[in-house]
Amino acid sequence: MQPTTHSFVTFAVRNRLDFFGSVFYISFYISMFQKSFVKLIVSLITVLQVSLLQAQPLLSINGTVKDAGSGEVLIGASMFLLENPQKITLTNAYGFFSISVIPGKYQLVTLFAGYRSDTVSIQLSSNKTVVIKLQPIGKELTEVVVSSSRKNDQVTKPLMGVQKLTVKEMNNVPVIFGERDVLKTIQLLPGVKSAGEGNSGFYVRGGGADQNLILLDEATVYNASHVLGFFSSFNSDAIKDLTLYKGAMPAEYGGRLASVVDVKMIDGNNQTFHASGGVGLIASRLNLEGPLVKDKGSFILSGRRTYADVFLGLSRDSSIRDNSLYFYDFNAKANYTLNSKNRLFLSGYFGRDKLGFGKTFGIDYGNSTGTLRWNHIFNGRLFLNNSLIYSNYNYNIEIKSGVNNIIIKSKIEDLALKTDFQYFINNDNKINFGTQITRHLLSPGIVDASANSSFNSQALPVKKALEAAAYFNHEYAPNAKLRLNYGIRLTSFSLLGPGNFSTYDSASNIIQTTVATGSGAVKTYLNPEPRFSASWLLSPVSSVKASYTRNVQNLHLLSNSAAINPTDIWIPSSLQVKPEIADQVAIGYYKNDLGFQYEFFVEAYYKWMQNQVDYKNGAQLRANENVESQLLFGSGRAYGLEWFLKKKTGKLTGWVSYTLARTERSVAGINNGNWYPARQDQTHNIAIVGIYQTNSRWTISSNWVYNTGNAVTFPSGKYTLNGQTAYYYTERNGYRFPAYHRLDLAATLKNKPRKGREGSWTFSLYNVYGRENTYSIEFKDDPNNPGKTIAEQTALFKWVPSVTYNFKF
Amino acid sequence: MKENIYTDLLAFFSNKAKSLPTAGVSWVWIILPIIFGSCKKIIEVNLNDASPQIVVEGNIYNTPGPYAIRVSKTINYSANNLFPPVSGANMIVKDITDGLLDTLTESSPGLYLTKKLKGISGHEYQLQLTVGSQNYTANTLLPQPVPFDSVSFEKIARPGGKLDYYAVVNYQDPPGVSNYYQFTLLVNGRKIENTFAFEDRLSDGRYVSRTLRTDSTYINVGDSVSVIMNHMGKEGFQYYSTFFQVTGNGSLQSISPANPISNISNKALGYFLASATQTRRSVAK
Repeated sequence: MQPTTHSFVTFAVRNRLDFFGSVFYISFYISMFQKSFVKLIVSLITVLQVSLLQAQPLLSINGTVKDAGSGEVLIGASMFLLENPQKITLTNAYGFFSISVIPGKYQLVTLFAGYRSDTVSIQLSSNKTVVIKLQPIGKELTEVVVSSSRKNDQVTKPLMGVQKLTVKEMNNVPVIFGERDVLKTIQLLPGVKSAGEGNSGFYVRGGGADQNLILLDEATVYNASHVLGFFSSFNSDAIKDLTLYKGAMPAEYGGRLASVVDVKMIDGNNQTFHASGGVGLIASRLNLEGPLVKDKGSFILSGRRTYADVFLGLSRDSSIRDNSLYFYDFNAKANYTLNSKNRLFLSGYFGRDKLGFGKTFGIDYGNSTGTLRWNHIFNGRLFLNNSLIYSNYNYNIEIKSGVNNIIIKSKIEDLALKTDFQYFINNDNKINFGTQITRHLLSPGIVDASANSSFNSQALPVKKALEAAAYFNHEYAPNAKLRLNYGIRLTSFSLLGPGNFSTYDSASNIIQTTVATGSGAVKTYLNPEPRFSASWLLSPVSSVKASYTRNVQNLHLLSNSAAINPTDIWIPSSLQVKPEIADQVAIGYYKNDLGFQYEFFVEAYYKWMQNQVDYKNGAQLRANENVESQLLFGSGRAYGLEWFLKKKTGKLTGWVSYTLARTERSVAGINNGNWYPARQDQTHNIAIVGIYQTNSRWTISSNWVYNTGNAVTFPSGKYTLNGQTAYYYTERNGYRFPAYHRLDLAATLKNKPRKGREGSWTFSLYNVYGRENTYSIEFKDDPNNPGKTIAEQTALFKWVPSVTYNFKF
Repeated sequence: MKENIYTDLLAFFSNKAKSLPTAGVSWVWIILPIIFGSCKKIIEVNLNDASPQIVVEGNIYNTPGPYAIRVSKTINYSANNLFPPVSGANMIVKDITDGLLDTLTESSPGLYLTKKLKGISGHEYQLQLTVGSQNYTANTLLPQPVPFDSVSFEKIARPGGKLDYYAVVNYQDPPGVSNYYQFTLLVNGRKIENTFAFEDRLSDGRYVSRTLRTDSTYINVGDSVSVIMNHMGKEGFQYYSTFFQVTGNGSLQSISPANPISNISNKALGYFLASATQTRRSVAK
């Protein structure tokens, strides 16, 4: 495999590929690449089959599971044959399943939370394709039926550190300003830490805020925030499913060290038209969906916009009126079933933030993504998805100050082709394999200054890189108790010319500059990423698991702070910057109660991180051609224990999450190279979420969070210089902010049921007991007693009430 | 408080890395206090003691001496602001360019004065300091002066129609060489405690008109505004720009504070800097 990938990359790279013109070339090369790769996999499968297959030929029962009302495919529905209830199959991301058995008569059972279970009789004499349509459970039936739906995947599946949230769960958790926010909600799960109020960044198991791969219908979202971080990019109306992988991701994912947040958009109702939406204090939303062709195709359009700026515009004062402050985002998706073997999906996202302060300063930034997908079923057992993916993040800044009129532009643009095969060999063996090739284009900054400005116009060289990956993953159940999921991902990352590429010494001087005139690879990193996990059933409802995962990251975020900002710069691995590597081992114990009402797990992990990026004191990250000279490199380690107890059914649902963890860094040049706590290091982190469904139309929900304060650098001494008091620092992150805790409350009142119309009011209160949580601490001379120094704390929010009206018809 | 967007955008552009996230905070400060109010309070922090370090404040100018060099020590955070001067130090400043040695005399506790040294553009100077058994050295270059043309004003309308005044410095940056500037702002003779350090990395050879953004507004119509330009070597810029950076407030959105980069050896704090200095004055109107 190794030589195949490598020669492919250099071959592809040697040809001058224009970014947009390259699609056809890439698809040509990728098909060559795939051919050899697929050949290899097929021969592997043949070997496997020879050794695994029973004497009798297997037939396949396959098909799709859908919501009977909307036609929306259901992801992760559990399916099994009544004759063999131990072998559970889950539907894939497109609702597809495949079960292989010898000819005979079977009862096929389908289970999915929130839906009535379904059983169909199948007389199997040849391969059979079925469409299972599940009926959603009406409210009146909730308690009875849900408790009978068995969700035991958490215990039986070997993957670790995986958490799913349904839209329903996410919608009931109270949030600031009443804006439902999936990225805020996952921060209530163990191992996921918040980057604080006013920031949608998060940290997973000691990783940095840039080490999370956030995917929206497979497209990378580089900056998942609105309003500089107060809200996330995701409009929950358009979201169907969210899966969080905390490091132990299957081999099909790669590119970031800490986690994958895989967000999938709704396909749209293919039966009838619907409109829904909401009116809130901050933003309003509107969602339209319906069939393109009944049963065959559907669409969804979903938009959201804030309107604080509308109020600004009403002001008679031009210094207020000229300010702009808004964001909007727009999700669109369409799908069409060509025939029983082929289905097409087209999805897109466009989001934009605009902030302007008078006529002097403006910034606008946002992501746009697009994904075109083609599902193909070769036969009942081999499923193929091809995706063409586009992703763009850019920002523009305009500054007008006196004679200075400056525009700064920056962008990062990806174009990718991804091919995923899923081969359902038999009930004990499933193989996933595929390839991905991504062309990255990073334009770190163009400064366009007016003729008489104080600044020079400048265009930093655009950086190009080609990332190719091939993966293979085998899910294997050798016996009734043991399940394995192992695989490997091979990543090749090439930094492409033309351009000047330098290496630097510790004093930031250039050691050597390589001048590349062609568009070939200047440097290629080839990294195998093995992934392994295993589960051992202790009883039908309990198991132990172990896993080992290696992840490699070739795009690095440069940010002086510990959070994500709109103006952050991404740089590729280069001659100076090595790929970041993380190795994680984890063990865990999982238990469900016999009634499947409760779900419990405890996981322990240890993670080593290499080639972590840090910054020299006084680093110049902006508009700096030699920005790599400003970096320091070090190691990281993170370890912890995560407890999670969830109550899934009944009037009261919710969960308790507790994480005990440590996250440290060691960087030559900081703290004398000694280990020190990373800023996001939080010893204790607790989240309690409760949702109570009353007998009446009210739903009450609440959450409480507590965490140890972040590690910060405080002065240990002071001195006087130029007549001012200055502070003397002795160690990085040697102190702590006060502990953070907060209680939120929300109540939702449903309107009286009327035919074809639904409506609800949600009232929420953020920070119920008005805790003044530390946002920052500033040291200064006491204005009342200049002989003394004081520490002044700023808290962002005391109480934040909000009200939102949601409707659907 | 008045943390404002202008300091942030300036910081952004002049690379002082305080960066934009505080703009998010400013936004909150613009909109939210109306509804909810953000809150500040004085809190108790328990900080470790640190062993005292030597602090040097030394300036050589291209104007006639004597030049003063102060030596003091750090104190614990919890102590009163009485900073102990260091007496009895052995201090020599050497003009490396022409080989002249000047042994400084202590005129008052911790304050040392040169006797014969002259600050000359193009000359390099070396500080040799001995305190007890510890030796400290620092080198600095006095660059050629850059003509400081004038101080003008930028007016920015605030909500309510009031105009905020900010001082603007105007000068021609010499092309083809690296230049580093530090400005001190005085309003009616009172020194404003903001650090202004500019380099010409992004403005080499331009006619520069840059606004001195302050955390708060200090200038009113009729005020006499003086600005001192110190044109210095890279070591001066490094000190002042990192001094500006370290005023981080510990939020996850700000940079981790650290000691400013000093040109003095042996972990001493402070600086020993030579600069070509000029002052311009203007009345705000």
